[in-house]
Amino acid sequence: MSTPGVSNDQELQREIEYLRARVQALEAELVEVQAQANAAVAHWQERAYWLDRWHLDLNELMRRPGADYVRGALRAVRSIVRVLKRAKSRLTP
Amino acid sequence: MSAAARVSVVIPVKNGDRYLEELLAALAREHVDEILVIDSGSSDRSIQIARSAGVELLEVQPEQFGHGRTRNLGAEQTSGELICFLTQDATPCPGWLAAYREAFRLGDRVGGAYGPHLPRPDTSPMIARELTEFFATFTADGAPVIQRNGDPTFLSNVNACYSRACLEEIRFRDVRYSEDQAFGSDMLEAGWIKVYHPGAAVLHAHDYGTLEFMRRYFDEYRGLRSSIGHIEPVGLRSGVRDVRSLLAGDVRWMRDQDYSAGKRLRWGARSLVHHSGRKVFSGLGSRAEALPGILRRCLSLEGDSYTPSDGTEKDIPTVSMPKRTPVAEPAKLDLHEYETIARVLRDGPVALADAVPGMADRERLHLAFVIPPFSEGSGGHNIIFQLMYRLEQRGHTCSIWVDDPFGHRRYEWPAVVRASIREHFVPVQAPVHKDFGDWHGADVVVATGWQTVYPALTLDGVRARAYLINDHEPEFYPTSVESRWAEETYRLGLYGICGSPWLRDLYVEHYGGTGEVFDYGVDHDIYKPRPIERRDDTVVFYCRSTTPRRAVALGVMALHELYRRRPDLRVVMFGERHPLLAPFPYEQFGVASPEELSWLFCEGTVGLCLSMTNYSLIPQEMLACGLPCVDLQGASAESVFGADGPVELSAFETHALADHIELLLDDRDLWQRRSQAGIEFVSERSWDRATDQVERSLRNALRQYDCEFQASSGRVP
Repeated sequence: MSTPGVSNDQELQREIEYLRARVQALEAELVEVQAQANAAVAHWQERAYWLDRWHLDLNELMRRPGADYVRGALRAVRSIVRVLKRAKSRLTP
Repeated sequence: MSAAARVSVVIPVKNGDRYLEELLAALAREHVDEILVIDSGSSDRSIQIARSAGVELLEVQPEQFGHGRTRNLGAEQTSGELICFLTQDATPCPGWLAAYREAFRLGDRVGGAYGPHLPRPDTSPMIARELTEFFATFTADGAPVIQRNGDPTFLSNVNACYSRACLEEIRFRDVRYSEDQAFGSDMLEAGWIKVYHPGAAVLHAHDYGTLEFMRRYFDEYRGLRSSIGHIEPVGLRSGVRDVRSLLAGDVRWMRDQDYSAGKRLRWGARSLVHHSGRKVFSGLGSRAEALPGILRRCLSLEGDSYTPSDGTEKDIPTVSMPKRTPVAEPAKLDLHEYETIARVLRDGPVALADAVPGMADRERLHLAFVIPPFSEGSGGHNIIFQLMYRLEQRGHTCSIWVDDPFGHRRYEWPAVVRASIREHFVPVQAPVHKDFGDWHGADVVVATGWQTVYPALTLDGVRARAYLINDHEPEFYPTSVESRWAEETYRLGLYGICGSPWLRDLYVEHYGGTGEVFDYGVDHDIYKPRPIERRDDTVVFYCRSTTPRRAVALGVMALHELYRRRPDLRVVMFGERHPLLAPFPYEQFGVASPEELSWLFCEGTVGLCLSMTNYSLIPQEMLACGLPCVDLQGASAESVFGADGPVELSAFETHALADHIELLLDDRDLWQRRSQAGIEFVSERSWDRATDQVERSLRNALRQYDCEFQASSGRVP
């Protein structure tokens, strides 16, 4: 004959154990995510070294009114260079 | 001054035909009573224009011309109660004379008045903006402003008007330039007042080529130096900052004036050249007297090497130039540097996040280090980064948060700070954040200096707070708020990780904190005995005089005493970039790399490194190279090395210190014993061991909070 109280206690204990394990798993997952986020930030800081060194914030720069004109001018130069390259490749045997 | 006071206008001219006709027509329109043109050798149509306009003409030889001298002459040759001075390119605007008359009715002691210079339509945007914004600073509401002694002394003879009484009392100084600035200063000091009247406007702008502009600035600032003593500050960083700010101002101004994009680009480039050149030439002009005459002639528009005959430095009045801030931008309100401290003291620390059972034993922790700004060679930061590097190698995730409330390193952006750590200390993997805008929580936040404790207490999402204590920082300050706030950090409940038993005892027993000790490590790959002959006459002295707790003066006195006893003593000083003044000969080793230092330590006979608070890393590094070391007794060194350990400890007294050094120089047995004991002592001290201890303390910090949390929530831990 089983005792209902004992069964409930055991179930509760199992539930607590399960929840503890789950919390620990989630914590471990969080640490992993934080480690990856840190690594990503560190990686981009390495890549952005010269921008930071020269205090260049490209997003800020490109938001300025003249940036559209500069980009347009660069596109125009690029298209001319491409046309010239294409012409050269056609003329070169 | 009566409303109908007679007005004379004096205009010095040389080759000024471009605007002279327009100027004289404007004066006729204003109904002035008398006009005197003083020509000093024009070769253009200036004289004809003056004659045909029917004004009085006075011709002087070019070599007789002087800005002050010639204007004094003009005042003597005219008869008006009010005498206006205009330059040949300044055209009065309608209402000009009425405004001056009104200015002189504002008070009995009004000796002079001046008005704004408006840009002509073809004026370059740099000059147009400068003129507009400069004169806008004088009046906030467009009303005339009275200026008395103590107010800005600015006055400009491009467009000014004086009462004869004032001019008779105070004459223009005979200086090449800036006679008006000198007069403005002199008249205010003599008790006269001057009036800025925005209605007394002229159209005026200099229209020079770029090089002429530069040379003109050279002359102007040379004149400002000789007349009012103004010295233009020079500095690469401040210069770049100023030019960048001026360029941005010009671009903004052009945008407001609806310049096309093409014009903005073209003038933007001109603006850059203009302001950069101005910075250089104005700085040179201020210091013209220090330049060779031939260089002055080259740089000056006047083409001479003029030396002021008066206004010498001894009688130069000190004046305040008006501040040239754009009126359109209101002053920004900002938080003060101690705002974080105020917040913590007012609101208390942010509550820690709920403890997670078992976290202290978790393999990988997320650790956030809050650090003060640093420079190359900082011992305290070396300790932090050595530990962090090894914690990372053990799988912990670290991040660095630079707390720089005073902006000491505001020009170093995060990637640059990170590269600096990797280059000058150790190659940590952690990302660097400046301020706490990106804060995203951590298992343990580690404060590493007293200032960093306060921001660390404001960070949320944290389960424990630790305090890496490398020194007793209240002792760094005289009686001050900093000293008191530094003390207060030891009572704020952080888990102390202390750099010596002496510090731990202070933290626990004196301040009531909880904490443990860790032992500083030594990089044994670098600091080790090396194949170099050890000398028997060399004292190696750590003389970082910028760090007062290193007792450099005491060390110098002891070495001086020793030098008296042993004139053949060789002293090598390191740790300071600039040579120290010392009453004995020594070799300056400067700020050296660890590798270079280790060779020096292997060559020296006795090391001298004094610590008045916590011990330095240096004695351990000397010991690791077999170099016996002398330090001060009574502070932390005894708690680390023992009273009769590897380090020779001396009382805080010149002769005693000299005795101990001399003992090690003379007593070979003692030297051998200390050297051997030193090598043995540091053999156990590594950064790996220090990291073991710190890691254990970090986990204990989590455990302690876990217990407190469980207890406070009514559970049995």
